[in-house]
Amino acid sequence: MTDITPEQAGSGRTHSTTELVRQSLARRNRKQKVLQGFGIAAIFFALSMLVILVGSLISTGYPAFTQTHVELEVFVDPEEVDVERLSRGNYDDMLAASLGAYFPDVDMSSRTAAREVTQILSSGAELKLRDRVMADPSLIGETITIKVPAADNFDQLNKGLIKRDTPEENRRLNDAAIERFDTLDSAGVISTPINTTLITSADSRFPELAGLKGALVGSFWALLVCFVVSFPVGIGAAIYLEEFAPKNRLSDLIEININNLAAVPSVVFGLLALAVFLNWFGMPRSAPIVGGLTLALMTLPTIIIATRAALKAVPPSIREAALGVGASKQQVVFHHVLPLAMPGILTGTIIGLAQALGETAPLLLIGMNAFITSAPSGPLDSATALPTQIFIWADSPERGFVSRTSAAILVLLTFLITMNAIAIYLRQKFERKW
Amino acid sequence: MNDMRKIERDAKMADTKITARNVNVFYGETHAIKDVNVDIADKTVTAFIGPSGCGKSTFLRCINRMNDTIDICRVTGDIHLEGTDINAPSVDPVQLRAQVGMVFQKPNPFPKSIYDNVAYGPKIHGLARTKSDMDDIVERALRRGAIWDEVKDRLDQPGTGLSGGQQQRLCIARAVATEPEVLLMDEPCSALDPIATAQVEELIEELRQEYSVVIVTHSMQQAARVSQKTAFFHLGHLVEFNDTGDIFTNPSDPRTESYITGRIG
Repeated sequence: MTDITPEQAGSGRTHSTTELVRQSLARRNRKQKVLQGFGIAAIFFALSMLVILVGSLISTGYPAFTQTHVELEVFVDPEEVDVERLSRGNYDDMLAASLGAYFPDVDMSSRTAAREVTQILSSGAELKLRDRVMADPSLIGETITIKVPAADNFDQLNKGLIKRDTPEENRRLNDAAIERFDTLDSAGVISTPINTTLITSADSRFPELAGLKGALVGSFWALLVCFVVSFPVGIGAAIYLEEFAPKNRLSDLIEININNLAAVPSVVFGLLALAVFLNWFGMPRSAPIVGGLTLALMTLPTIIIATRAALKAVPPSIREAALGVGASKQQVVFHHVLPLAMPGILTGTIIGLAQALGETAPLLLIGMNAFITSAPSGPLDSATALPTQIFIWADSPERGFVSRTSAAILVLLTFLITMNAIAIYLRQKFERKW
Repeated sequence: MNDMRKIERDAKMADTKITARNVNVFYGETHAIKDVNVDIADKTVTAFIGPSGCGKSTFLRCINRMNDTIDICRVTGDIHLEGTDINAPSVDPVQLRAQVGMVFQKPNPFPKSIYDNVAYGPKIHGLARTKSDMDDIVERALRRGAIWDEVKDRLDQPGTGLSGGQQQRLCIARAVATEPEVLLMDEPCSALDPIATAQVEELIEELRQEYSVVIVTHSMQQAARVSQKTAFFHLGHLVEFNDTGDIFTNPSDPRTESYITGRIG
């Protein structure tokens, strides 16, 4: 029983409402296009920032992935080395002798002249020869071919980073040195193979001998300690808070504190570690175990928050089914909820560990930025970590470290991307559609 | 004469599995179940009917103390299972739920294999000593759930891979695996198609011969089909409790009559 006449009802529906909807449609479409435009612009901006960052890293870093070597025919003079004391042989003299073959007009018996010539080789060259002879003493008396690294200045020259056209007084290498280098080059003994030293050897004063092995091993130990401490503690805390703790003011307070801890600047954790682990507990300074514990403190809030979210996402129907069959609360959590929440927990853990890998400030404060030239053999030895090694190299004056810093950053980024990719893959694979 | 009445009375009382007296349930401030008294008999299907929100599921969940998991829920009154007060502090709800099985509205098999779904209850209660004991228990339960023939060659496949009706029958098999005395069913067929519903109803008729079954249902036709006793709930009160035939043909309370004729609910 309505008071609206048929004419009124019909006309209202066909004219004014449709017209209003059509007008608002034009406005809504316009707004949508503007929003889409902003979205595309934002993505474009972010991608271009990424391209600029990675591009600049690659352009400064790629020279570090090759290292200039000099191939020499070295006669292992039995008079210079004694089979009984292989490590004490005069390997530098042997190298000087083989180099001298290319410079017949230089008097190799004069120390200054000889030193100028051997300047071309890295100071690690004789160590390489020594290692070769020590591994195979039968080489004494033989002439062997060995590729030794060139010194950093000549490496830079070869890669064009030391410009030949700058005036001589502004250059690191004088004309005579460059001429000697060109002589060797035209003799065909200069080559630039892949710089495996970057990964296989530890830090060094000389860029051509410096590598990330110490930092990689140090980071590995630190992350291992971090994982071993934070994974069980974080999951246990999250399970207790989510499933067993009574819902009162105290647990609310704890939750607020955990969320805040996730936002605390990492340098504060470094100060904490310095005061507590190094000062009170007297743990070894610069050791990955302290670094690992500090990183664990930082990763705990991330793991707790991720685990709680994963536990909450398990549907209550599974819990009810388990309770209905007569499972106790603990059995419900450990037999049913936890296995179903595990993919989410793992994803959160991997992301937390990836963050920990890149943390620099706390490790600096506990001393993992010392100059250490050998890889640690365990978590208690002094070590550096990958981000702190980058920090050290960025500060070093030698030209060779400029490109190596960028190369080290690229190595770190590769690890981070790999870890995050694994996390995303795991999440996709185990995602359940309820 | 008195002796015969006493024997009758004794026989009747031996048949009663669950007695509820003055049961009140509060959700915080809300008074959800008001002073309910009911007797659930053994080897019988008792149906709880009533409009939405009248408290039938809440009362059902009192019987196996599932309401304990809800913090704001408070249950008062006596509920006795074969003479023992289930709310007494000496009674462990975990053990109670082995004696009182439950099937839920939406089928919820564990995301494990069919075998593990059924074996989980007996495993945690320690009902099987050897693997072959467990195999027997699983087979017996799946046969009682009328699903053995369909799954006997694929016991290691996930339970979630079955159809809706099969999943619900799997849940019923899971519930009877612990050899309960009472089986509670909270609208077990509302998520199923008519054919699966018919299969489950047939199953309920078979189960009645061994267990006491309490079923909450929205469908009066279903209550009329499967149950022998019916309780009508309305706004938290137990309005009427009688034989199913009497409730539907000759209700004594006007509210019952309004509900079954479709005027309310």
